[in-house]
Amino acid sequence: MVIDLDRCTGCEACVVACHSENNIGMSTPEEAARGRVNHWIRIDRYYEGQFPDIKVKYRPVLCQHCDEAPCEPVCPVNATYHNPEGLNVQVYNRCVGTFYCANNCPYTVRSFNWFDPKWPEPMQLQHNPDVSIRPGGVMEKCTFCIQRIKRVEDQADAAGRPVADGEVQPACVQSCPAEAMIFGDLNDPDSKVSRLAGDGRATKLMEELGTKPKVVYLEKAR
Amino acid sequence: MKHLFLLLLSVALVVPCLRADQPILFPHSTHINKVHLKCIDCHISADTRDAATIPGVRKCMLCHAKIAADKPEIKKLAAIAASGREIPWQRVYGFEKAAAVKFRHGPHARHKVACATCHGDMPNAITAQPLVKHNMGTCISCHRQNNASDDCATCHY
Ligand code: HEC
Ligand code: HEC
Ligand code: HEC
Ligand code: HEC
Ligand code: HEC
Repeated sequence: MVIDLDRCTGCEACVVACHSENNIGMSTPEEAARGRVNHWIRIDRYYEGQFPDIKVKYRPVLCQHCDEAPCEPVCPVNATYHNPEGLNVQVYNRCVGTFYCANNCPYTVRSFNWFDPKWPEPMQLQHNPDVSIRPGGVMEKCTFCIQRIKRVEDQADAAGRPVADGEVQPACVQSCPAEAMIFGDLNDPDSKVSRLAGDGRATKLMEELGTKPKVVYLEKAR
Repeated sequence: MKHLFLLLLSVALVVPCLRADQPILFPHSTHINKVHLKCIDCHISADTRDAATIPGVRKCMLCHAKIAADKPEIKKLAAIAASGREIPWQRVYGFEKAAAVKFRHGPHARHKVACATCHGDMPNAITAQPLVKHNMGTCISCHRQNNASDDCATCHY
């Protein structure tokens, strides 16, 4: 995935889209104050300058699907691992909730279900049937909308053609009004994301840790 | 001792019937062997989509408005159709929510896995019964034999 920070306006449409696509439970203000929030994507804010000459920068942060993911080796039950497509996957029914993975994630993008998920009425009626609802005690995180990836692969296989570049759109990408997010196959050198990843503006978040993140941020250097 | 025997007998008699507790005694055998319907005629998306689907009552009434209309089971059927509701079929197959399994019929039909491999001898069954056990072992062992994916994320998400 490529995220163009020069386009992001911090509107949080991606956050809302992600919540509704992936049946993510809603926290309450009291729980949120204790750090028990559930987000698979969040918008980090950075302030530059002194009030009132202030400039705000936004950065959507989601699971970076690191090639050297720090969360994976610490899981005692192998509930999180790299799948053959290169996704960092969480197997919910395998997870026993040790929290080691979240503690080891430098991006703090994993969220834990402290309780069985709840939704304010009538939002419990709009669950996505393609995504399972995670019970309490289970860790969860961004899947790059694996249900959409599988759906597109299934349709392409049925039609006997390869998956086209840009055909898979995770909910965040689809909902971004500024088109700041682009999803595609980094293994395909001709894909749009591969071209953008080679752009002069490309950076990766906390790359120095050696995690080899697969989300590329585009940002004009100053 | 006699009470225990009676208790065991009643349990033995009741348990196998639980699954067959369908609102209408729908005979698969008649419709497939006599009427020569194909599975896909009723389970219309079993070859293309995720869910095979159960036919709605209006499909039944296409024939049964006339055919065998005097039989008791068909009278029940007609009464449900007249009420404007659907037949409350009991599910036979399916996984617990906690197992977080996403099954898709489409890929299996495309790879010519026969319905009977997973659902048994339905052409000779009355109402559907869990003739074939479905669990992770049965899925995975066939997938390994056929070079299909055994990655957890194929089935769990
Ligand atoms: C005339 C329509 C019709 C045809 C043809 C038909 N079915 Fe069905 N099928 C039904 C109905 C109605 C039910 C629901 C009642 C029940 O469970 O017995 C059902 C139920 C089932 C179920 C159980 C679903 C569940 O999990 O509850 C399976 C499996 C099934 N059919 C397989 C088949 C197969 C395989 C064929 C072809 C050999 C077939 N059916 C042909 C109408 C049909
Ligand atoms: C293509 C036409 C057709 C469709 C569609 C059809 N049936 Fe039938 N059905 C028949 C025929 C023909 C018979 C045999 C009647 C006989 O034995 O006299 C039959 C027999 C039956 C019987 C047994 C009646 C008895 O007591 O002997 C039941 C119950 C039944 N059907 C239910 C259903 C239901 C429920 C559906 C919808 C899922 C359905 N049928 C759809 C043609 C159809
Ligand atoms: C690889 C095994 C497999 C094959 C092959 C298969 N099924 Fe299924 N079928 C299942 C499983 C597993 C379920 C339960 C799915 C669930 O609940 O998520 C199911 C469910 C069903 C149901 C219940 C309704 C529904 O939509 O889930 C029907 C009807 C059905 N199958 C019919 C068929 C027919 C007809 C065929 C042949 C074209 C077929 N199946 C082939 C495994 C299979
Ligand atoms: C009798 C053999 C057989 C059984 C049993 C079976 N499968 Fe499959 N499955 C296949 C084959 C063959 C494919 C096609 C693989 C491919 O696309 O190359 C497949 C494909 C799939 C796919 C799509 C794979 C992909 O790459 O996206 C899913 C999901 C799946 N199976 C789930 C299941 C589940 C869940 C069960 C158990 C309820 C099951 N299968 C049981 C043979 C089987
Ligand atoms: C081909 C499909 C398939 C694949 C691949 C698969 N599973 Fe499963 N898994 C299932 C099915 C189907 C069930 C439900 C079995 C049942 O209900 O008896 C299940 C059940 C489970 C359960 C038990 C859940 C519960 O609460 O009962 C766990 C744990 C599990 N799987 C973990 C895994 C892990 C870890 C992997 C990867 C190594 C994996 N599965 C790969 C199909 C699959």
